[in-house]
Amino acid sequence: MEQCMGAATETAEQVSQIHARLKELALFLSDYASELLAVGATSARVEANVGRMADHFGAWADIAIFSRHIIMTVTDRATRHTYSVVGRSRHRPISFLRNSSLSRMSWQVIDKDMTVADARAAFDEIVSKPHANVWMVLVLTSLANMSFCYLFGGDLWAMLVVFLATAVGYCAKICLLDLKMDARGVFVISAFCATIIGCSCFVFRLGSTPEVALGTSVLYLVPGIPFINSISDLIYGHNLCFLSRLTNASVLTVCLSAGFILGLLVMRIGML
Amino acid sequence: MIAVDIILDGAFAALAGIGFMSISNPPRMAYPAVAILAAVGHSIRYCLMNLGGMPISMACLFAALSIGFLAIPAARVVRCPAETFSFPSLLPMIPGMYAYRTVQAIVKCLQTVDEQQFMHWLYVLAYNGLTALCAIMLMVIGVTVPIFIFKKYSFDVTRDPKK
Repeated sequence: MEQCMGAATETAEQVSQIHARLKELALFLSDYASELLAVGATSARVEANVGRMADHFGAWADIAIFSRHIIMTVTDRATRHTYSVVGRSRHRPISFLRNSSLSRMSWQVIDKDMTVADARAAFDEIVSKPHANVWMVLVLTSLANMSFCYLFGGDLWAMLVVFLATAVGYCAKICLLDLKMDARGVFVISAFCATIIGCSCFVFRLGSTPEVALGTSVLYLVPGIPFINSISDLIYGHNLCFLSRLTNASVLTVCLSAGFILGLLVMRIGML
Repeated sequence: MIAVDIILDGAFAALAGIGFMSISNPPRMAYPAVAILAAVGHSIRYCLMNLGGMPISMACLFAALSIGFLAIPAARVVRCPAETFSFPSLLPMIPGMYAYRTVQAIVKCLQTVDEQQFMHWLYVLAYNGLTALCAIMLMVIGVTVPIFIFKKYSFDVTRDPKK
């Protein structure tokens, strides 16, 4: 009641100042939350980081996360004025580096007593940093998938074929993503290329585990982190976010399966 | 001989963990952590399955719990969120061959007209699909539960130490 009376006695200028401050904060927190979600943070972490910063700026923040949008509502603790922003979900590759940097930044806002403008500058600096060298990632991913083949009982020939299949498939993925092709199409084509190479053990009768080579050759495309994040969201009770992430990851898995089956049809492998 | 198998299993799991993690643009500090956690987790699963005769889904749960509990103190050392390296450490444990056989069974089901053959492939589909699904679900639950239990601790690790 006291606060209602207080709000009633505010001058138009004061209301305008509070409004401008809340707007700046809501826009910043909305961008921050969208970016953090896009780079693969769990919803619980997004809520914790945003809540921490909002608290520092004397406000409460409530986030509603949908499949393509987020709604950020910021409430001023002293005056109970609110401001809501509808932000668009961003499409970014998963980046644990950015996730860590943004989480660290949320603490620095408090520890260094930053203003919203300072926080915005720190945020812009983090998001402007480039991703890791894709060609180095290509080599590491090929080695990883080759190791995967060993873990599934593949022999040396199978491991070599899987290394090559992953390198070719991942190379196709990099090139097509550079051409701004839709991610679903990229997954189909990348899986198709990897399957064609992965069939080598069947075609040239190399080694004794051709099935392992074929089955492993496309596994580098399985969207493991989005799947894990979705179930993590489910555990924390973010059911909408769980469904959204699970659906996106499932669509990519269907695309990779389509590319795989297409490759088998072209190569007329016995499985079909 | 079994010790060599366990070491090789751990070594290849570490390599797989590092490689799959690199796709997700990790901080450099997280690479050693993911290598150790992936090796430990996969070796535990290997021992539980091959020495303890445990089914893959339960072995995945215990291996993931080990990764999850080790990730909490490791997060403090490397000062990155625990999920940054605990989630990629799970990737070498994804039951890929079960997933492959599930896809194979779907295709076979669609191609078969003979009822007996169809039922066989439907069984293969259900067995492999359920095994893969349960293993993945239990793995993720296993790795998330420790973060959930130590929620405050795991969300504080990215804070710079006070001077």
